Amino acid sequence: MAEISFPLPDLGEGLIEATVLEWLVSPGDQVERNQPLVEVETTKSAVELPSPQAGKVVRIHGGPGDKINVGEPLIVFEVPDNTAGIVGTVPKEEAPKRRVRLSAVLDED
Amino acid sequence: MSNAILESGAAMADRAPRHGVEELSMQQALNLALDEVLAENPKTLVFGEDCGRLGGVFRITDGLQAKYGTGRVFDTPLAESGILGMSAGLAMAGFHPIPEVQFDGFAYPAINQIVCQIARMNYRSRGTMPMPVTLRVPSFGGIRAPEHHGESLEALFAHVPGLKVVSPSNPHEAYHLLKYAATRPDPVIFMEPKSRYWQKGEVTFDSADPAGSAAGGPPTGAKVMREGRHVTLIAWGAMVARCLQVAGLAAEDGIDVEVLDLRWLKPIDAAALAASVRKTRRAVVVHEAPLTSGLGAEVAQLITQSCFDTLKAPVERITGFDVPYPSGDLEDEYIPNIDRILFGIQRVLEYRRG
Repeated sequence: MAEISFPLPDLGEGLIEATVLEWLVSPGDQVERNQPLVEVETTKSAVELPSPQAGKVVRIHGGPGDKINVGEPLIVFEVPDNTAGIVGTVPKEEAPKRRVRLSAVLDED
Repeated sequence: MSNAILESGAAMADRAPRHGVEELSMQQALNLALDEVLAENPKTLVFGEDCGRLGGVFRITDGLQAKYGTGRVFDTPLAESGILGMSAGLAMAGFHPIPEVQFDGFAYPAINQIVCQIARMNYRSRGTMPMPVTLRVPSFGGIRAPEHHGESLEALFAHVPGLKVVSPSNPHEAYHLLKYAATRPDPVIFMEPKSRYWQKGEVTFDSADPAGSAAGGPPTGAKVMREGRHVTLIAWGAMVARCLQVAGLAAEDGIDVEVLDLRWLKPIDAAALAASVRKTRRAVVVHEAPLTSGLGAEVAQLITQSCFDTLKAPVERITGFDVPYPSGDLEDEYIPNIDRILFGIQRVLEYRRG
C-alpha cells in the first residue's frame, strides 16, 4: 500500500490559510473521488472540499477551529500500490470475447 | 546542483547490475530503468509535473527523488513549454534530461520546443549540440480518462526530422527500451501505453532480445511476438497485447497469425516488415490513432514497396476514427477491438485478385 498526502489547496485568489469547520470523514473511512471530505472556512467563504481521489483515510490534520496553511498536509490516503494513479481507472484484464469467426479457403501456394 | 551530482556517485557504487528474470509490472519496470539510468549517469535528470515528491501520477518516478535528491529528480511548474524548453537548455549544457509530460495531450503546448528546438538543434549546430533528451509521454487510451488524456501522437512526432519515436508493449520491452532510449545522443519520444502500466510480465535483464534475433544486442528494430504463416498483424504499444489475443482466437479457426511489435515508430524497421509479410503474404496494421495520415499508412506503403509482387491482398488498416478521442465508455467503440481486428483479417483472407 502507498500513502498519498493531500495538502490544503489554494482555495482561490491567493488565500494563505483556512480554518477547519467540520470533518465529514474519519480515519479508516473508504472514500470515493469527489466525496466531500471537510468543510473549511476562509476569509471569503465556507466551502466543502471534495476528495481528489478514492482511497482509505489514514490521517486527518487539524480539528474544528484549527487553522491550516495552504500547502500543509490536510489528509492522507492509503491506496494500493498499483492503482495509485490520480487520473483514470485501471483497466480490467478480461478474457477476450469475440463474435467474429474466420473462414478462409487457404490455397497453400 | 553540483552537490547533487556528486552525491549520485554514492548511489552508483551500491548498485549491482541485475541478472536473471523478474516478474514486474510495466510501472515497476520503467521505475527500475529510470533508477538505473540515474545511478549510471550522474548527468541524468528526471523531472515533470508531480514527478518529484508524489512520484508521478502513475508512480513511474516513485521513490527516485528520495534516492537521488531534489537536484536530480524534481517537480516542475504546470507548463509543458517550460519543461521542454528547459530540457533543450539542459541538453546544451551537457545534461541528459528525461522530462515527462504527464499525459499525451499535454505535449501540445510544448510542440514548439520539441519540433523547433530539440528536434533540430543538433542539425542547426552542425553536430556540436546533440540533444540527448528522452521525453516520456504516457500515451494512448484505455483508462476512462478525460479529454487530452488518451491521444496517440506517434504520427505527429514520427513526421518530424530529428526525432526518434518508440513505444514499449510490455514490461520487458519497457525496461530495455527506456534504458536504451535514455542513453542515445538523439531526442527520443518515449510513448508509454498507460493502459498497460499495471500489467505484469517477465523481464529478462541480461538481454533485451532473445538469442537468435538480435542475439542480446540493443533493442533496435521490430520484434516478432508470435510466429504465424497466414497473416501478419503489425502493432505497437497497447495494441500488441490485443493483437496477441486476436492471434489466439484466430488459431481456433485454423488461421495462423504472426504478430509483429513494431517498437520503433521512427525509424520503422522496414526489413522486419518485409521479412514477415514476404512469408505470410497478408498484412493488417492496427493502431489507436485516427485513420487519416496515421502511421498505418506509412507501414502499408513500406509493405507494398517490398512485397508488392507477393501480397495476396491490399494491406488492411484497423484504427481509431477521424474524431477527437472520446472520453468515458465511448473509448471502447473507438479503440480497435477484437472483432474489428478479426474482420480485418477476414478481409485479407478472402480477397481475390481480378
